[in-house]
Amino acid sequence: MKILIVEDETELSDSIATYLKGEDYVCETAQDFNKALSKIEVFDYDCILLDITIPGGSGLDILKELKANNKMDGVLIISAKNSLDDKIAGLTLGADDYLAKPFHLSELSARVAAIIRRKKFHGNDLVTFENLTIDTKAKLVSVQNKTLDLTRKEYELLLYFMINKNRVISKNAIAEHLWGDEMEGNYDFIYTHIKNLRKKLSDAGNADYIKSVYGMGYKFSVA
Amino acid sequence: MKLLAKYNRVNVAATIIVLLLSSIIYYFFIEATFVHQLDKSLVVEEREISDYVKENGQLPEPSADNDEHETFTASNEIIKRKYRSIQLFDNVHKEQVLYRQLEFPLVVKATSYKIEIRKSQEETEDLVQLILKITSVIVLILFSTLFIINRFVLNKLWKPFNSTLEKIKRFNISETNKVILEPTNINEFTELNDAVSAMTKKASHDYDEIKTFTENASHEIQTPLAIISSKLELLSQSENLKEEQMNIIQTISETTNRLSRLNQSLILLAKLDNKQFKETDHVDISFIIEHFINNYEELIQAKEITLTRNIKPQVILTMNETLAEILIINLFTNAIKHNNRDGKINIELTERSLLVSNTGSAPKVDPSAYFERFKKDSDVGESLGLGLSIVLKICETYNFNITYKYEEKLHKMKINFYSA
Repeated sequence: MKILIVEDETELSDSIATYLKGEDYVCETAQDFNKALSKIEVFDYDCILLDITIPGGSGLDILKELKANNKMDGVLIISAKNSLDDKIAGLTLGADDYLAKPFHLSELSARVAAIIRRKKFHGNDLVTFENLTIDTKAKLVSVQNKTLDLTRKEYELLLYFMINKNRVISKNAIAEHLWGDEMEGNYDFIYTHIKNLRKKLSDAGNADYIKSVYGMGYKFSVA
Repeated sequence: MKLLAKYNRVNVAATIIVLLLSSIIYYFFIEATFVHQLDKSLVVEEREISDYVKENGQLPEPSADNDEHETFTASNEIIKRKYRSIQLFDNVHKEQVLYRQLEFPLVVKATSYKIEIRKSQEETEDLVQLILKITSVIVLILFSTLFIINRFVLNKLWKPFNSTLEKIKRFNISETNKVILEPTNINEFTELNDAVSAMTKKASHDYDEIKTFTENASHEIQTPLAIISSKLELLSQSENLKEEQMNIIQTISETTNRLSRLNQSLILLAKLDNKQFKETDHVDISFIIEHFINNYEELIQAKEITLTRNIKPQVILTMNETLAEILIINLFTNAIKHNNRDGKINIELTERSLLVSNTGSAPKVDPSAYFERFKKDSDVGESLGLGLSIVLKICETYNFNITYKYEEKLHKMKINFYSA
């Protein structure tokens, strides 16, 4: 999977690249408008992370260029300009999603995965981990062909974990992913969901993949 | 008071004073002229008598008409010739009548006489009355002229002013269209229009600059925050972190998050203050409420809160959709966060109002302070104290009337969509 990060803050694009490389993505970066433009002319990417304010032009123009050339690259706008106009303009121009800065890398990774699933596999992708399988189109979780009965939030939580497997995910990132940023800092709710999810997974005969990481959050891993 | 009324008041007062003064001056001048005229005719009479005496060697018969009296009295006093005005009782009209009199000495056949000739001054009285009448007529004419001028001419004269005023009233700084003022050939109004054009142009320009600044400030602050939080997330992936280090990473990460949300909330408030949410839609508020109830359902269950609702379907409000969502989210999360375990939330939506009531600990501070920025009354650690200010600001933007009450152990937040 090839990803282009169009972002003028090298520190930020480095962080993103480092995180995404761990998910078997190949990341390229472009710091300004012209570099980004020449890259998208030559290569096809599975997903482009696009900052709107970049030196030399607007990210929105790159988006227009992509659409004008009928490129099928998925586009995720990452903008500090949390202004509605940009968001609406971006989505109207054909961006697949919008994420305001600052964001959790785990959230970014989940959004990228969702875009790629939609674009590349037409939403018909299976996400797997050990003997767990998620059919993201049917929104079904199964363990060795046996369907797990999860609530909506438990499903979202499990998918989030599986996409960010082997990573420490902060409680804040989980809260924000499940309920939006207004519910950040209310961890009691997360405990309940995690408890229930753990129980359902172990009832289906799974090992406990959800590891608590002291003070920081959770990690979905075998060991 | 209207400028016109004030101007008229001064004008009328001045006119009345001037007219009164001039009437008094008329009166004295005309009276003096009249008396002078009388005196002259008295001299004629005097000469007639003297001539008669010279010719005939005796006094004539004293005449005594209504207007003119002559008396001749023998007298040994030394009489000086003089004019004077006297009042005598008129037997015919039963009233005091003013006379002008000339007395002078005359010697007839070695006898000294005191001759008095008087003429009635009645006409002066008539004159005063006439002057009064003329004055009142002039005042009346003046008033009606003023009225007509005010009514038809001044209103027309002030038209460019009123039109400019109307344009200023309708001036909305967040709208891009410029104020276009009607040209006028009156210097003062042209000056006013020029000043207004320059001022509105400057205001719009400054507003745009502040708007851009707000956006840029957001950008400038969010980007470093994004770097901090991404680096922290990478750091937290490292193996072999000590417990102490994990705690520090977590604290920094949470604080960064808080700072970022604070920044976003302040930018949102600034945008609301600047009325930057202009796009309005017909928003199905019932749908939004159901959507968020759905979203928070499991959260509510997790806290063992009982949710009851009575939501009228398809309640449509004309407002910005994002603001409608922010409003509902803030009300809901407030009701969930500040609730106790086993608590209650009740949501009622009608055509005219939304009522969100929830259980929770009784307010410790004056509830009106909840709407102020950064006022907190809770131990919910991460609360920014901005949520309700945002709710209030959104309500103000659309003239919704929001009230808070604590009764029957319930926090009741009620929004009336039509404040009248």
